[in-house]
Amino acid sequence: MNRKTIKESDQLQRRKARFAQGLVHSAETALAGLEDDPDLPQGMRYFIDVMRGAFTGDQKGRFSNPSHFQGADNRKVIGTYCLMVPEELIYAAGAIPVRLCGGSYEASSIGDELVPRDTCPVVKASLGFSSLNLISLYQRCDVVIIPTTCDAKRKMGEELAAFTEVWMLEVPHVKESEGSRRQWLEQLYALKKNIEKLTGKRFRGGKIRRKALDAAIKMVGRAQYEARRLYELRRASPPVIPGREAMLAINAYGFDTAPEWTEAMALLNDELKTRRREGRSVYSEHAPRILLAGSPPIFPNWKVPSLLEEMGAVIVADESCMGSRYLYDPVGTTEKSVTDMMVAIAARYLMPCVCPSFAPNEDRLYRLLQMVDEFDINGIVYHVLKGCVIYDFELIRVEKVMKERNIPVLRIETDYSPEDIEQLRTRIEAFVEMLGRKKSKMKRG
Amino acid sequence: MECYGGIDAGSTYIKAAIVNGNGGIQGCKVVPTGIDCRNTAREVFGELCDELGLSPSSIPSVISTGYGRRLIDFASKDVTEIKAHAAGGIRTAPAGKRIGTIIDIGGQDSKVIILDEDGETRNFAMNDKCAAGTGRFLEVLSRVLKVDVENLGPLSLEAKAPCRINSLCAVFAESEVISLLARGKDRADIIAGIHMSLAKRISGMAKRIGVESDVLMTGGGALNPGLVAALEDELMTDIHVAENPQLNGAIGAALIGGNSNGGRG
Repeated sequence: MNRKTIKESDQLQRRKARFAQGLVHSAETALAGLEDDPDLPQGMRYFIDVMRGAFTGDQKGRFSNPSHFQGADNRKVIGTYCLMVPEELIYAAGAIPVRLCGGSYEASSIGDELVPRDTCPVVKASLGFSSLNLISLYQRCDVVIIPTTCDAKRKMGEELAAFTEVWMLEVPHVKESEGSRRQWLEQLYALKKNIEKLTGKRFRGGKIRRKALDAAIKMVGRAQYEARRLYELRRASPPVIPGREAMLAINAYGFDTAPEWTEAMALLNDELKTRRREGRSVYSEHAPRILLAGSPPIFPNWKVPSLLEEMGAVIVADESCMGSRYLYDPVGTTEKSVTDMMVAIAARYLMPCVCPSFAPNEDRLYRLLQMVDEFDINGIVYHVLKGCVIYDFELIRVEKVMKERNIPVLRIETDYSPEDIEQLRTRIEAFVEMLGRKKSKMKRG
Repeated sequence: MECYGGIDAGSTYIKAAIVNGNGGIQGCKVVPTGIDCRNTAREVFGELCDELGLSPSSIPSVISTGYGRRLIDFASKDVTEIKAHAAGGIRTAPAGKRIGTIIDIGGQDSKVIILDEDGETRNFAMNDKCAAGTGRFLEVLSRVLKVDVENLGPLSLEAKAPCRINSLCAVFAESEVISLLARGKDRADIIAGIHMSLAKRISGMAKRIGVESDVLMTGGGALNPGLVAALEDELMTDIHVAENPQLNGAIGAALIGGNSNGGRG
């Protein structure tokens, strides 16, 4: 019996080593695609390093701790999914939030064995990462919070409980009712209590105090301020940064701590501002301007953003919950009492969120139309991750409103596997070609 | 008069076309792609030039399209199949017809292209995930039925009671056809059923993006009158078949070269 256990663990070790090798390879390939850019802003280096730290290890497949975990050994780390977990509560309790929504093809292949076939790759990859417990992002988590958003995420909570402690956070699906708002606020009070219990007496007597909460709101607010500055800079025509780089920088927020990220983002924004002032651009003004909508690309799955820009389009805007939507809306407080701040946090994490797990979700159409105008969009690429029924569902409405505006929409259904890249390339190229012609025709009048 | 070349390097066949400055088709050629797309393309283009008494160096622009478009090293530019078929469709459509939709059934993919008033692509859909809805589907099944692909169409038009083929997957459809044969079903009925199944798949894609009349069919699939008839039934509209449907992409590519040169000069 003893021999059998040894053999099994040996097998598991080899499996982990293979997985690590594959993950490192994919991540390095995705990063190389960014680093190849001759105009790569200096400020992007930091975000590329964050990704490299999180997803590539040394040659033996050992993953180093992301920088912010170093010297933070006595702080609790809380894993979060989706956008509805208030980071302010986590920071106020002295803990560190990390975003665990998975984007790795290798991890999604491991997850394939753990969930039904039609589950989306985000959930597959998240489960795959957790089950192997290899990279420190997942290893270091003391607890994982999962909001009840779509079906797959909800059921993922049950399966994840086999590997880690899971707290479910009940998010109402209908925003526009007094009852659901009250329920949501209650949920957040309960979450606050749980976080206080986790961080314990060692941290300011086990209570999230008014000052700490206020400071946390301001800290995340500063990150949001810089994220919105980037958002504004992406409106420039001709563009000052490729979308695949801007999206990566925002994505890195999930794997970094707010103050460090904010500092780096401020530097990047300053650099881009200078670029714009000097009239330096990375694309010709004829490049079709794309809004990337739908399911989120999550690093290392940089397949669609890279392909789009490789084929000559530029992603000037996105609505991804790992991108622009992530840090768009700030918490608005009036009085600085704990109650007032809790109400403000509850409002910020529920009301402006346009995740398609809400119904009705007319706000999302409104946001998309607004973006089309703000960013002078020529076409929309609608990314559907296989199994993501709710984003696919809303495509019907998106197509309808965009048709009225004469904005072409290309639906791309794919997962994390590289096998369909060549087919996607042809389809994307034809779309970009079509938009380019339309754009030049409009210019000529 | 100046001539322009187009190469459509498809998955199954390579097509070459040469047009003159007025858009008149000078000559065309089709050969199986084989394993070396680049050399096959070079050879077929050379042969076509010889036949027309042209020297390849006298042709100012050769534009490549199709699956292997980037492999054609002597091409001056490459364009996607969508653009090439749209350009070709306008030229190869029957005289006097204004084409709103092009349905192209190739060896490895099928596509539906919606054109605007100026003949530019307004929208398109592609089936490129699997053999269902492509010429490959017909090739696989013709082997089981021991019928040459060219004879599928005429045979199916003799069908009295078409069978139903329910599987869209080429592999499953193959076993379905084998069991129909084992049950002693008529070959013509089976083939008609295959065409109907293919037509359903393609019309589903076409209806999703919205069919606009007139409809033009291109690609090797348009050479099959049984498939054209099945699609007409499914879409409930008349379908025009392009002149030289299989060459439509190559002709379109050649025309694009002619237009851009003409525009400059």
